[in-house]
Amino acid sequence: MSVRDRARDVLERLAIASATERILISTAALVLSILVGAVLVLVAGRMTACTANEAVYYFGTGFCYDPVLVFDRLFLGALGDPFSGGWSPGGQFSITLRETTLLLFTGLSVALAFRAGIFNIGTQGQMVVGALATALGVLWVSPLVSGVVGTVLLIPFGILVGAVFGGLYGAIPGLLKAYADANEVITTIMLNFIATGVTLYLVSGVFKDPNSPANQTVPLPEYAQFPAVLFGGRQDFSLIALAFGLVAIGGLYYLLEHTAFGYDVRTSGIQPDAAEYGGVDAAKTIVSSLTLSGALGGIAGAMYVMMVLGTFQTGVPDYGFDGITVSILAGNNPIGVGVAALLFGVLKSGTTVVQFATDVPPQLVGVLRGLIILFVAMPEFFRLIGKRVTDAGEKAVATDGGRPGGESDE
Amino acid sequence: MDTAVHLDGITKRFPGVVANDNVDLAVERGTVHALLGENGAGKTTLMNVLYGLYDPTAGRVLVDGAERSFESPRDAIDAGIGMIHQHFMLVDPMTVTENITLGNEPKKWGGLAVDREAARSAVVDLSERYGFDVDPDARIEDVSVGEQQRVEILKALYRGADVLILDEPTAVLTPQEVEELFEVLEELTAQGKTIIFITHKLGEAMRAADEITVLRDGRNVGTVDAAETTREGLAELMVGREVLLDVDKPPAETGDVVAAASDLVVEDERGVRAVDGVGFEVRAGEVFGIAGVDGNGQSELIEALTGLSTPDGGRIEFLGRDVTDDSRRSRIDDGMAYIPEDRQDRGLVMDFDLVENAILGSQHTAEFGPNGRIDWPHTREHAESIIDEYDVRPPNADSTSESLSGGNQQKFIVGREFERDPELVVAAHPTRGVDVGSIEFIHERLLELRKEGVAVLLVSSKLEEVQGLSDRLAVMYEGEFMDVVDPTATTEEELGLLMAGERPDADSTATAETERDVGASAGGERA
Repeated sequence: MSVRDRARDVLERLAIASATERILISTAALVLSILVGAVLVLVAGRMTACTANEAVYYFGTGFCYDPVLVFDRLFLGALGDPFSGGWSPGGQFSITLRETTLLLFTGLSVALAFRAGIFNIGTQGQMVVGALATALGVLWVSPLVSGVVGTVLLIPFGILVGAVFGGLYGAIPGLLKAYADANEVITTIMLNFIATGVTLYLVSGVFKDPNSPANQTVPLPEYAQFPAVLFGGRQDFSLIALAFGLVAIGGLYYLLEHTAFGYDVRTSGIQPDAAEYGGVDAAKTIVSSLTLSGALGGIAGAMYVMMVLGTFQTGVPDYGFDGITVSILAGNNPIGVGVAALLFGVLKSGTTVVQFATDVPPQLVGVLRGLIILFVAMPEFFRLIGKRVTDAGEKAVATDGGRPGGESDE
Repeated sequence: MDTAVHLDGITKRFPGVVANDNVDLAVERGTVHALLGENGAGKTTLMNVLYGLYDPTAGRVLVDGAERSFESPRDAIDAGIGMIHQHFMLVDPMTVTENITLGNEPKKWGGLAVDREAARSAVVDLSERYGFDVDPDARIEDVSVGEQQRVEILKALYRGADVLILDEPTAVLTPQEVEELFEVLEELTAQGKTIIFITHKLGEAMRAADEITVLRDGRNVGTVDAAETTREGLAELMVGREVLLDVDKPPAETGDVVAAASDLVVEDERGVRAVDGVGFEVRAGEVFGIAGVDGNGQSELIEALTGLSTPDGGRIEFLGRDVTDDSRRSRIDDGMAYIPEDRQDRGLVMDFDLVENAILGSQHTAEFGPNGRIDWPHTREHAESIIDEYDVRPPNADSTSESLSGGNQQKFIVGREFERDPELVVAAHPTRGVDVGSIEFIHERLLELRKEGVAVLLVSSKLEEVQGLSDRLAVMYEGEFMDVVDPTATTEEELGLLMAGERPDADSTATAETERDVGASAGGERA
């Protein structure tokens, strides 16, 4: 058997792998990426100078960085050291969940658009617009209410404002694509810059907090921010926000799998010609799915303002772009987005822990993170290639009798 | 007799599928050997093994008595085997000569330049030797489909082929062109060439072949002498049971006009009028057929009628209402069922399972999607009833449509559209690629719908099918209806002439090519 045939065989087997097999493969990939990462840490540790008592010793050789410690900090550190006693929810774990919550929304935003066959790179911009709109809207309304009633009213209101403005900002590339045939990749990238630029202009001018040197709005009143439930002292994570995220996962799953609209979206996403045949209005589906996708991005912005910062400040971190990776890692599946967002959250928050606990340079931690994502994403990638390979094979089988049909069941 | 090609115990497996199972095939030199079978029987796979496109899982290939192993078609060509695919592999803007010599051009100046004169004379010699009628200087885009096919054959001969494999060669030809092709095959075998001819049409196999090998489910179920067999016998071999070949059709009881088009104009993407001023009406309880060679505007006509494209002129009425500007969805909701020509791009979502595919087009109806929420349990029942009633195999609603063979995909679409409770069924090639047994069933169901008062618009390139089922039959040529005829009062030859663009009573419009055909058209597909 030649190398080529063997490669083909492997691809074909991947293409027909079951869900359990795929989970096993992903887990194996995670373990493998840690092993490869460990080797890198050891090699990098060999090439650095350190004193003898700082070094760790494996196989009778001294290394400056300890891979066990690095991965221990990266994972267990991010979870707030659950096995070492004295675990409290307010520690590093809440930062992990904070990142997870935000990535959940941006990941869902990208995933929804992907399912409709649209590559929404504009989640970042939609998030920024949603964030500013939430901050301004809540600031405008907050004097009318106060206390617990204020929290109960303002948080849904803030989320709604974020969703509406994020959605409107997402509708722009949707309309441009549906009615002017403008490529959404280009338009959403451009709209990201516009969002950043315009918010900077507004927040450094008319909406600037006169008491702050930073480009930010006036801080939201305490009662207009997410209360920290169970997570004691921390002000930048709320279980309620995470609960909203889980509801969003369920909602999007239901929307895609159980509604006629979701059916239209999925059909247009994978086979536009068949969608057209089935009476799906392509233009309407593009606009509505990008609007919804933008709304999810806008909610991420609302969460960022009402949970993390308590104000709108320019320089919103790249949650929108990370959402693309989260979505791809999850195979654009809403439930998968939950898992991928958690993995990503762990890696993001673990990175800072590693930097505190070790001398490993941040670039190397970045490489380790990249390796993990690459390894976990690769099997899915090869599976897609495998599908293509088997398809090509089967299409060549049956060319007789009009249209090719595949002879698979005969 | 000596054997030109001998396939010994060929088995070809694909993941989860045995396409060929221990197939033996011996082809005598200087004969036409037909490889007959339903879609999915493994005919093309077997020939792809012979042509070096696939490695057999087991078995031997012997050419001229010597065992050969082909890594690629290049090796097969070197061994004197040529294959003419169903879809021609020609470069449209290049001339006949350039296409034939492409890749093997005679060289001059030490290999630096193509010797055009030598190439041209080689082509002229070759076509004279086999009595081919081709113009060596014509561009491919300017010549007829039949001539393109002869160019493909010449290309194989130019490369030194002794054994020619033709994959469904008649699918794109008019009856007259089919007859011409058969004459070419006779001339080739007379000069010692060997022909293997893949087909699923019984009549053609009997008309053109010396020997017929029938494949069923990847196995050789018998090799028979064409002169000593009958259509019924062959059909039984193909299907494995007795088959009724003739459609028994009671007279039509027509009602109101269900759908009508007037002065319909549809332009293709280049701005050429693919449909040029067509008008017709279809009444309840009748089958209105449209015959014609593929690519004469039938596809554009039905896409406009079903709402998948917007006509560039004219008017479409459905149930007495002008629907020219209505969306596809509103036409579906009004009761227009459509079996599309292109089942894999249009008719099914390949990655969806059959349950999901069962509601393509009715996802917003009160039955399957009340209040925008899809009723999956009911949809599953519906999918299972289609699978059961239309004999879709494998009978598993959870399999993706991609995993089904072409014929079973088609059966599922036909079932879904027929069970929509339609006012009008637009059926484009409803039995294309479907096995003989299921053709019989689909035809019966179509006539049942007609009896229930459904209007049917049937487009098919199978003359036998449109002629047998239609109550009125239009023949379409270059975007226009040549004529609307009574199919029972018209012969296949007359229809063939209309399909070639010639009105029987208007000799002045006849082209040189069709004139030559008139004398040679006896026989045809029915033989």
